[in-house]
Amino acid sequence: MAAPIRILTAVPICDGHDSAINTINLEFIRHGIEVIYLGYHRSVGDIVRAAIQEDVRAIGISSYNGGHVEFFAEVLSQLRKRGANYIKVFGGGGGTITHDDAVAMKRKGVDTIFFAGTSLMEMTDYVRKHYGKPRKRTAAKLSDMELARKLTEIEEAYAKGKRRPAKQIRNPQSAIRNSNVIGFTGPGGAGKTTLIDELVLRFLSHDPKGRIAILSHDPSVIGEGALLGDRATMINSQDDRVFMRSMATRGQAGGLSPATHDCLALLAQSNFDYVIIETVGTGQEAMPFQQNGIVDETVLVMNPDYGSRLQLQKIVMLDLADIVVVNKSDLQRARTAHTEIEQRLGQNRRGQRLIDTVAKRHRDPGVDQLFALIAGNLSRRVGMTADLSC
Amino acid sequence: MSKLGQVVEAVEKYNGFVLNQVKRARSDEKFGRELSDRWTEIKSKTPVTHTPTGLPLPRLALPEIDEPGEIARYLFGEGLPGEFPFLNGAYREMYLEPVREIETGSYGKKTSSDGAKEKASGNGVQRLEEPTRLFSGLMLAEDTNERFHYLTQHQRTHRLSTAFDGPTLYGIDSDADGVFGKIGEGGVAIDTVEDMVRLYDGFDLGSPNFSASMTISGPAPIIMAMYIAAAKRRFGPKVVPKLRGTIQADIFKEVQAQNETIFPIEASLRFLTDMVEFTTHEMPRWYPISISGYHIGEAGSTPVQQAAYTLSNGFAYAEMFAARGIPIDQFGPRLSFFLDCGLDVEYIALARVSRRIWAIGMRDAFGAGPRGQLFKLHTQTSGRSLIAAEFKNNLTRTAAELMLAYMNATNSCHSNSADEPFTTPSEEWIRLAAHGQAILLEESGIFKHTMNMLSGSPGMKAVERAVERAVLDEFREIERLGGVLAAVEDRYQRSQIQNAAHRYEEQIYEGTRPIIGLNRYRNGSDDIPEVKLARTPRKKQQLQVDRLAKFKKKNAEKAKRALDKLVDVVERGENCFPTLIEAVEVCSLGQITGRLQEVVGRFRPMV
Ligand code: B12
Repeated sequence: MAAPIRILTAVPICDGHDSAINTINLEFIRHGIEVIYLGYHRSVGDIVRAAIQEDVRAIGISSYNGGHVEFFAEVLSQLRKRGANYIKVFGGGGGTITHDDAVAMKRKGVDTIFFAGTSLMEMTDYVRKHYGKPRKRTAAKLSDMELARKLTEIEEAYAKGKRRPAKQIRNPQSAIRNSNVIGFTGPGGAGKTTLIDELVLRFLSHDPKGRIAILSHDPSVIGEGALLGDRATMINSQDDRVFMRSMATRGQAGGLSPATHDCLALLAQSNFDYVIIETVGTGQEAMPFQQNGIVDETVLVMNPDYGSRLQLQKIVMLDLADIVVVNKSDLQRARTAHTEIEQRLGQNRRGQRLIDTVAKRHRDPGVDQLFALIAGNLSRRVGMTADLSC
Repeated sequence: MSKLGQVVEAVEKYNGFVLNQVKRARSDEKFGRELSDRWTEIKSKTPVTHTPTGLPLPRLALPEIDEPGEIARYLFGEGLPGEFPFLNGAYREMYLEPVREIETGSYGKKTSSDGAKEKASGNGVQRLEEPTRLFSGLMLAEDTNERFHYLTQHQRTHRLSTAFDGPTLYGIDSDADGVFGKIGEGGVAIDTVEDMVRLYDGFDLGSPNFSASMTISGPAPIIMAMYIAAAKRRFGPKVVPKLRGTIQADIFKEVQAQNETIFPIEASLRFLTDMVEFTTHEMPRWYPISISGYHIGEAGSTPVQQAAYTLSNGFAYAEMFAARGIPIDQFGPRLSFFLDCGLDVEYIALARVSRRIWAIGMRDAFGAGPRGQLFKLHTQTSGRSLIAAEFKNNLTRTAAELMLAYMNATNSCHSNSADEPFTTPSEEWIRLAAHGQAILLEESGIFKHTMNMLSGSPGMKAVERAVERAVLDEFREIERLGGVLAAVEDRYQRSQIQNAAHRYEEQIYEGTRPIIGLNRYRNGSDDIPEVKLARTPRKKQQLQVDRLAKFKKKNAEKAKRALDKLVDVVERGENCFPTLIEAVEVCSLGQITGRLQEVVGRFRPMV
């Protein structure tokens, strides 16, 4: 089976008209397309960076607040500047984009503009027809671009039926490992994405030159599309020093995609200080990093509302995680949760750490503590500090 | 139970009370007679008016009932216009022609009651001016100012409604990265207090005949502070208590639908409450928040979702302001509402039901006095119902929506122009939209002779009951999620709105939702209006950037100190609004936003 088409969608800067794009995203997903949604009020730079890192076939822009001729042109020009004009651009904006505007925009390289009154089916058909086939492209100009393309190759190979190699890479200290890999998992709604984005903020200011990679996952069923929306909320991670890749699980249970292992191995070999991997919301029995072998440090992010103490006994990751985070610790049940989890970890006698955070709070001291702990643990384990890798 | 749960209980209890009154009127002879007497008196005191053809009509239409139980159901369940629970109207009279001669009775006579005053302040229709509040904003402050003067040249009262450009709506400066082309587009560019002085130059801000409305929410407290600072620069500090107007400042609906939140939700709400606390004390004539369902509706919600989220947002604000210690009878009357009116059948009674729920909730769950129970409503016809294909049909759509809005006794109304799908409306179509209102209210006899003209048909009552039930169900769901704030953070309202919007578009393209000229009776030739784009010249955009640079350079030292002081107050948790008024003297919008974001964080958008 061919790999799903991946496209990026966004709304331009100073524009919050997202109703059309939300509807279109939903429609695309239903028809097997994977949509990386960047959100509204997005700059050209954010859009182009994301498109290259995600290695999408095309960018769909929905613009309502005017200035579309210039904005689309700027996206195309920056794509060209980075040698990424193999990424196509299309879009719409209801009646605000006139036929004359559309002619001018096409002249500048926009593939097509969907006018008001276009049926949702027409748009999906267009995307499947025009962006369905792999593209020819010239050699990658930038290292991020090269990395992004290799990740695509891996994903596409798995979509075509490749199986995971039986042999695992498991050698943290080996020469091919340049990055520290941290795995985040936990139930849906625990706030993993926000927590990671807050850690990224701390990392970027702590280490003015360092680079970080994020492999984030969203669920999808085989043959269907997916909404990969983490970028829209991860405001601190839209930065040239962050390489982010959004993946759909494509039918695999357990929180990761069939291609994750190889993709992660590739990122770990690249020159990042940290590689962060985030699973989709997982169930009690899940142990997503178990057979993985590449993750140095695992963090389980919990919500205080996990139910009864009995539920706690069933969560396998509580035995395996290096760090357990009770996020949303401003909620009423947080103190009970802390005590119960502490007891549960005590039984393990593994020196696992428990930290309370409120990731949505700006400058949360719990997140500071978590950051310090992760940075400290890793520098001890790998025997180097964050500054040593470049 | 949160306040919203109490509101649900209050409405249920009130409905039970009405049923009891009905029973009592039937069983308790004395009570029944009292009601019948009152009913007879109301009818006999209702003045009679004459239509242009000489037909006599009562100025207030009432149902033909004489059985005490039914009278009780009407008086307690609906209330006369201007009476609790205000189903038929927040005020009496509303759109009626002034009384020329009073033949009998006094009910409906214009009094100088609170209601009449409110009308003069902007709710209700005034015959001396065009019936629309003129929404305007373009290019730089001086350009908008010129337009304001042009629009108001023949008017005695000056009610200016200000639209801001994208960078301003997002709290950033005109010199920010990547926004150059957006300066002055879709609204006026405001970076500093100097722009604000230019914007309203020549208008007497302290006059009782002047009011300013500002359509901005995310950075509202900063913009409000600039307005106050500009007024002080021009008229001295004594002008502050005299300022009249409205600022939208509705954070919940931004997060749910309009997407212009700039600080994290809790911080945004805190800055809002700081502003509301200040204005209720210092500016008694100001409306510091306009609780808006319009954007929720336009983002694609169902009508019931619109009413339910708007009302629950309103109750959440009331709870928040009360928790700050602002007396309910001080802020209650300063709350106003803004709803959308589309073509779905729910709109026959949506605002009526909203008014009733608000009144009961405010009285019985919040203990508000009569003035705090009023749901003062501005309506706008639906922009989203207006489409590009065969766009002249939009005139008919807007006319039908206007009819519905006035059947719901809205206090004021904005009618959209037929060229709405394309660009900022042009004068030609604005005029037609405004005249649509005049035709309905002044030329036609539908609304001008008799209050309550179209209220209470069996169909309308059926819609009322169904809508009320559905709204209360939404309240219960929000309550289950832990109240409005928790539901918002949980993306509840957003996801509901998005699903409804998707369904709506699906229905259009499946053909189950007829849209004339698009999926039915399409003639194929799309006549598109000559779109004259009101673009801001580059030279003007550059001028704005240069002015800002000059301002920043001139105030560099002072700005640093002012921002430090602001941060200090914010961190101490005090009301920061007075300090904000000082800060805008030397800091730009973007400088303040940026510095505050360092302290409280940036808003994390929701998908
Ligand atoms: C809904 C709406 C809003 C809602 C937005 C809610 C939301 N979350 O999206 C609210 C009320 C909040 C709003 C606010 C504002 N709005 Co508005 N809004 C509209 C409105 C009525 C409809 C747009 C819409 O969503 N239509 C539904 C979609 C599904 O259909 P469509 O537009 O026909 O699009 C079709 C195709 O083009 C295609 N398509 C669209 N995008 C894309 C993208 C891709 C990739 C693809 C494949 C296809 C595609 O899909 C659709 C289906 O066929 C239009 C006017 C109109 N009638 O069109 C004004 C309009 C866009 N708004 C306008 C303005 C000015 C504003 C404000 C700036 C006003 C102000 N000063 O405060 C604010 C700014 C808000 C912000 N944060 O940016 C102007 C823009 C003027 C201009 N460009 O010259 C318009 C044109 C109205 C007007 N005439 O003044 N608005």
